[in-house]
Amino acid sequence: MSVSGSSAPSRPAAGSSETGTAGMTRYELLELEQENKTPARRALDAFLTICPLLACGVALLEYYLVPDKFANPNPERYTILLLIPAAIYAILLAVSAVRYRAGDKQRYWKMLHRAPLWTAIYLVLAVFDYATLKTGALLYPFIPWVNDILNGAISDLPNLALSTLYSLRLLTLGYFAGVAAGLLTGITAGYSSRIRYWITPIVKILGPIPPVIWIPLVMIILPSLFTGSVFIIALGSWFPVTIATLTGISSIDPAYFDAARLLGATERQLIFRVAIPHAMPNILQGMTQGMSTACITLLTAEMTGVKAGLGWYVTWFKNWASYNRMFAAIIVLCIIFNAVSKALDLIKKRALRWQNGGGS
Amino acid sequence: MPHTPVLKLDHVSKSFARVDTNDITHAVSDISLELEKGEFVCLVGTSGCGKSTLLRLIAGLIQPTMGQIMANGKPVEGPSPQRGMVFQQPTLFPWLTVEQNIAFSFRMAGTLKQNRAKVDRMLETIGLEPFRRDYPGQLSGGMAQRVALARTLICEPEILLLDEPLGALDAFTRMNMQDEIRSIWHSSGQLVIMVTHDVDEAVYMSTRVVIMEAHPGRIKAQIPIDLGEERHRSSPAFVEYRNRILGLLNY
Repeated sequence: MSVSGSSAPSRPAAGSSETGTAGMTRYELLELEQENKTPARRALDAFLTICPLLACGVALLEYYLVPDKFANPNPERYTILLLIPAAIYAILLAVSAVRYRAGDKQRYWKMLHRAPLWTAIYLVLAVFDYATLKTGALLYPFIPWVNDILNGAISDLPNLALSTLYSLRLLTLGYFAGVAAGLLTGITAGYSSRIRYWITPIVKILGPIPPVIWIPLVMIILPSLFTGSVFIIALGSWFPVTIATLTGISSIDPAYFDAARLLGATERQLIFRVAIPHAMPNILQGMTQGMSTACITLLTAEMTGVKAGLGWYVTWFKNWASYNRMFAAIIVLCIIFNAVSKALDLIKKRALRWQNGGGS
Repeated sequence: MPHTPVLKLDHVSKSFARVDTNDITHAVSDISLELEKGEFVCLVGTSGCGKSTLLRLIAGLIQPTMGQIMANGKPVEGPSPQRGMVFQQPTLFPWLTVEQNIAFSFRMAGTLKQNRAKVDRMLETIGLEPFRRDYPGQLSGGMAQRVALARTLICEPEILLLDEPLGALDAFTRMNMQDEIRSIWHSSGQLVIMVTHDVDEAVYMSTRVVIMEAHPGRIKAQIPIDLGEERHRSSPAFVEYRNRILGLLNY
């Protein structure tokens, strides 16, 4: 079987395939492994890739054909929400089809990989809509339908946006203050055994206590709720960052320091050029952990004392039985926390390229 | 003008206070040596005879308890790129690429810009140009040790200290590296001091073998190796040297 028949520009000229697998690119190998699919299987694959669009159609039909049980103003909002991802998917699929014709099948495989999940999401949305708007079977009125959530969010957009900004401000200030403090204590304690002697007991005693326990105390002692919340969130992220940094730095094989000294590194360079880069995996892991503590602490602070932010928004509208707005805020929180953890992941990937054997 | 050797050890002793007991370990005791430029000296001996301690003393990583070490007539007070050292483990910084590892000393000294060309040349010399952007985790043992050697050699040290640099390599890589190190030494003419467990390696590579004894670590004998350039591991003279050294080590 020859794999050199196609006209893909990305592939080296024919010849490699005639001399066995040596000289084969990764792409060629993957393609070769795909070859043994039967025509029926290929047709099934092709059908699978359009399933998300079909499922979107099912969701739309369900939305428009089944009669509503409750009043549903501005129905087009949910329609738009359904159509945007479907449109994006359709465009990606069209591009992958064009590239497939040109011999590049990688995009198509990616779409094939995505298709079942996208299909499932649309089907779940259709079922959800049926269980809420159409029948109210799903704990009405506590769980609203998607269009109701959209209506709630859009009608209260300025408040929601402002709350989001408050939350982000609190999270950012508290988190970065905590990370900075954690780096400082972790690095100094990891590097100097005398500082470690004094830091360790503090960390050991205070560390395991969930920081939210300090909220009542801090609200009384500190001048403002805002400063108090920043302090609590900082405390929550300080602990994991300190522990992780300390571990990372104190576990360095001294041979690295010897090697660096022999190459002319000064004491300062030993810290910044050897100790810190070496501890980077630990530091980033501590930062991830610190972020999750910070998020929990943020929400608790906002739900119990602070009179702003998404946590406050959620409790406030729960008390008003305005569940659609409550859910809108929860969804915004979901998006924020996901974005934050995604960002941390990207930083990790970039900073720790050397760990995964990723070359140039 | 009196002659100053490149390296002079004057009644050097190093003792460590033990952590577990009240005893003291006399790692090396009363060692005097004079080493000249262009020599290739191998330190051999059983483990615990203080070979590595001696090398670390010369490097300046630790200070002698008594006695003095002079490099070019100046006392050794700390590590310096002028006395480069390669360990048994390559100890490459895993977060830096091959190229960045080799350029580490320039980066520390803040002279990377003017030395870019040197780094490129070194990469060519050790044959790792295609791997310059790879991380140490992707290299084989022999390649990593070659990078470690390059990282040290690029400072053009007057004294090259090798602490069993080939100990962790497989037999074939090891023999290739022996030849490579010898040819580096040939072209640079520096003083090389190498610690090894392997008597064959010592005879094959050095111009002088220093045999050490343990408890306390001291010099038992010194044997100049007079085998010329072309060395064959099975030649009668080679075998004779080897047997003599093994005899001195009580084997």
